[in-house]
Amino acid sequence: MADKKVFHGDGIVLFKDVADAMKGEKTLNKAGFDNKLIAPPPELRLGCDLALEINLVEKNAIEREFANNNVRVKEIAPLKKGTADVLDIVKVTDFGDWTMVKSGNMKISYEKKSGIIVNISGGGCPDIPYLNAMMVDKTLDETPLPRDIGYTLCATMLQRAYDEAVKLHKEGK
Amino acid sequence: MSKLLLVGCIPDSDFPVTYGQVKKVDDYYLEVNGRKFDRTQGTAAMISAALAITTHFREEAPYVLIAGDIGGGEGTRGIYKYLIDNINEIKPDFITMHYCMPIMAVMIKVVEACEACEKKPFLIADAGAMYAAKGAGIAEKFDLFTPDPSEIAFLADPNATHPAYISRHLFDNNAAIIPEQIAAAYKYHSAAKTLVVKGKTDFVAQDGKVLHVIDSPDVPMLEPIGGTGDTITGLVSGLVYVGLEPDVAGVFACRTNRTAGKILNPTPATKARQLVDVFPQVCREYYCGWSGLCYLPDEEANK
Repeated sequence: MADKKVFHGDGIVLFKDVADAMKGEKTLNKAGFDNKLIAPPPELRLGCDLALEINLVEKNAIEREFANNNVRVKEIAPLKKGTADVLDIVKVTDFGDWTMVKSGNMKISYEKKSGIIVNISGGGCPDIPYLNAMMVDKTLDETPLPRDIGYTLCATMLQRAYDEAVKLHKEGK
Repeated sequence: MSKLLLVGCIPDSDFPVTYGQVKKVDDYYLEVNGRKFDRTQGTAAMISAALAITTHFREEAPYVLIAGDIGGGEGTRGIYKYLIDNINEIKPDFITMHYCMPIMAVMIKVVEACEACEKKPFLIADAGAMYAAKGAGIAEKFDLFTPDPSEIAFLADPNATHPAYISRHLFDNNAAIIPEQIAAAYKYHSAAKTLVVKGKTDFVAQDGKVLHVIDSPDVPMLEPIGGTGDTITGLVSGLVYVGLEPDVAGVFACRTNRTAGKILNPTPATKARQLVDVFPQVCREYYCGWSGLCYLPDEEANK
């Protein structure tokens, strides 16, 4: 783990109260996530006076760590002022026997007839090749989910694409 | 003799930090130091493509520095620590950094180590390594980036620290806006010297100007195939290593990928390794016509 004194993350975890923030810090330290306690910037204050600075790309894994340890979180957001919210644009491309669903920077493609996932593309974080290995050649029903085995923002976006793919497949598309 | 070093993580959490020269084992695996790894996607697809180029030009195979990482960051820290600690012994002339957790503080140290070398290596980045370079504000210390449309939008957004957090107006697959995004990436000091932007239309830019646009052959079925952007990163790495100028290497990489796609005639279920397996044919049959790269060194010697 990096020295906390020099750690500079790009995400912030906001909590309802200081006790939650302290518990969150303890949980992330125990799990080995780089983090540090900070005062939230004014534009992100929700009434608390402590927050955690994190590597935003680890959002998915951090959310899971908090859920597993009953840490209550108000919001996880980019630390840089002016940064947009997570992209929520979904685009669908019909390739005849296959459908491709794109959410943000991630794409999932499946065979319409069988629901078998045939490819995952996009993203640059190391859990994406892992998710590709775990999900491709499985059906949409039987595949493990990005939110359960992924760690990063790329996995978060892939989960959104997957959710849309499931919906479309149920509609026969 | 120059050395190409390819650095990145693979999706096998038990794979230790491993450095050595890579070779192809069979249709499914590569090998380094006796350890096999799947060549389907990500860093391995990039390595496969670079190996296809060095093999064609009868140059020394790339060296690789890889470790398992499925998103926890241990492998990322391991490979970069190894690189920082051993860069003076490895003496790479070209380094391509690829899938890894985008840990900005670590990337700053890696680049500092490169700059401290007697001769700074030619630095290429894509995927997580490119995210880290941009996020840390050191993109201009790199020689070449290979972003896809989401990633050039990310480079163009001065506030974004990840392609999932780009401003909505920048998220558009319309190739017409990519030159604007390229200009913005250079304006905000978020671009490497050369950009190879891969997509439905490919763009090669240098020092703020678009030099080349490649849009044929058009093979839409490549888009859903995971790893077909990684192969461009590997191709351009190999082509720069064998001596092409960075912008020319970018053009060749894009044309090679597209032409292989046309020959392969893929479906969305095709795998990137199948595309890579067509690269030798493209090199043999097209490079002479494209450029005058018409002979191989030992063929010449045998005449």
